[in-house]
Amino acid sequence: MTEHLGENAELYPLGILDDDAAREVERHIAFCSECAERVARAEAVAASLAAALPLATPSPTLERRLRESTRPQRYANKPRTTLFPFALAAAFALAFLGLGWQQLVLRQRLAAEDVALVTMVHSHFNHVSMSPESTSPVAAKILYARDGSWIYIIADKPGGALHAIAHTERGVADLGAMLKAGETATLLVHPSERVRSIALQRGGTTVASAKLVY
Amino acid sequence: MDQLVDDFAARRPSGLEQVYALWSRLFFSVARHVIADSGQAEDCVHDALVRVWRSPNRFTGNREMLKAYLITCVRNESLGMVRREGRRDARELKAARLAPVSSVDPPAVDPVETQRLRAALGRLPDEQRTALTLAYYGNKTHVEIAQELNVPLGTIKSRISMAMRKLQTDLASAEGQRS
Repeated sequence: MTEHLGENAELYPLGILDDDAAREVERHIAFCSECAERVARAEAVAASLAAALPLATPSPTLERRLRESTRPQRYANKPRTTLFPFALAAAFALAFLGLGWQQLVLRQRLAAEDVALVTMVHSHFNHVSMSPESTSPVAAKILYARDGSWIYIIADKPGGALHAIAHTERGVADLGAMLKAGETATLLVHPSERVRSIALQRGGTTVASAKLVY
Repeated sequence: MDQLVDDFAARRPSGLEQVYALWSRLFFSVARHVIADSGQAEDCVHDALVRVWRSPNRFTGNREMLKAYLITCVRNESLGMVRREGRRDARELKAARLAPVSSVDPPAVDPVETQRLRAALGRLPDEQRTALTLAYYGNKTHVEIAQELNVPLGTIKSRISMAMRKLQTDLASAEGQRS
């Protein structure tokens, strides 16, 4: 257990922490209920501060976009509660697999149970770098379970909205839009059938692709 | 559990629809305060809500806590976008603060709540109110505030933290008296 958040609990909802400090807050409150409550109280104050802002109305397209983005994916057929451990493990494993930017930091930060989780999951999935395509390619990597039960796609500096298309034995399937997260975009899916290859598209143009070997 | 929170936590489409119907203007206002461009502000609202929707659910609070949590997500998404794209310069932020949103929009979410907030802010010590105001309404980082006020970073963090906790107590007290 790391130390409690201290003053950062009040600073986090204001959005004034740098990215590393903000991620640390998010990671900490995932397992520390005391700090989670403190952050929640600060969030309520921040919400009150928002009440003094001039009220603005978004365009109707925002609601339509949200509906499309949150539409159940064809492959999202497993309970959501199973997603987090895989996503977490995939992210940790990514660092261990050499893309990584934080092996040293991870060693310092990861609690013993996290390391155990990485070690456990590391032996159960494959990874592949996607081949860049088009004149404006994107660097991306795919981690996927050897039994085909989950696929995690990570793109670096996506440069715009990315969409993932899967090729299966039965045809083509839309995996959905990738979600931007800082300098990266990610997508986690649970296919109901074996995916043979994946293409990332930006504006209808394929910018990266990869075959999955089980 | 509140039905809205229950629906949202269970990722029922009705949960997102209710959240959108109730708070989309508030979320957009929060993003619009940070980013002058309406399209990009909408992108931030979209990305923040989708991220929460797709993330593993750890939310167990009530409706007001859900609203506060989502506001935090939208604000952090918006500030993150500005910082990532290197557009965090004075002109951009000033434009975001000063650009007219809409001639028909009301000035704030809830006049009563706004009045309570302003009164509570007025009761803060000057140095705490200044630091908090620069942080939230000025969209400045604690580092920028420390530089602007020529005060150590740790002092700024303490002032903001204390201001937030005093506001929390003050607003809760006012809420208790009202109800």
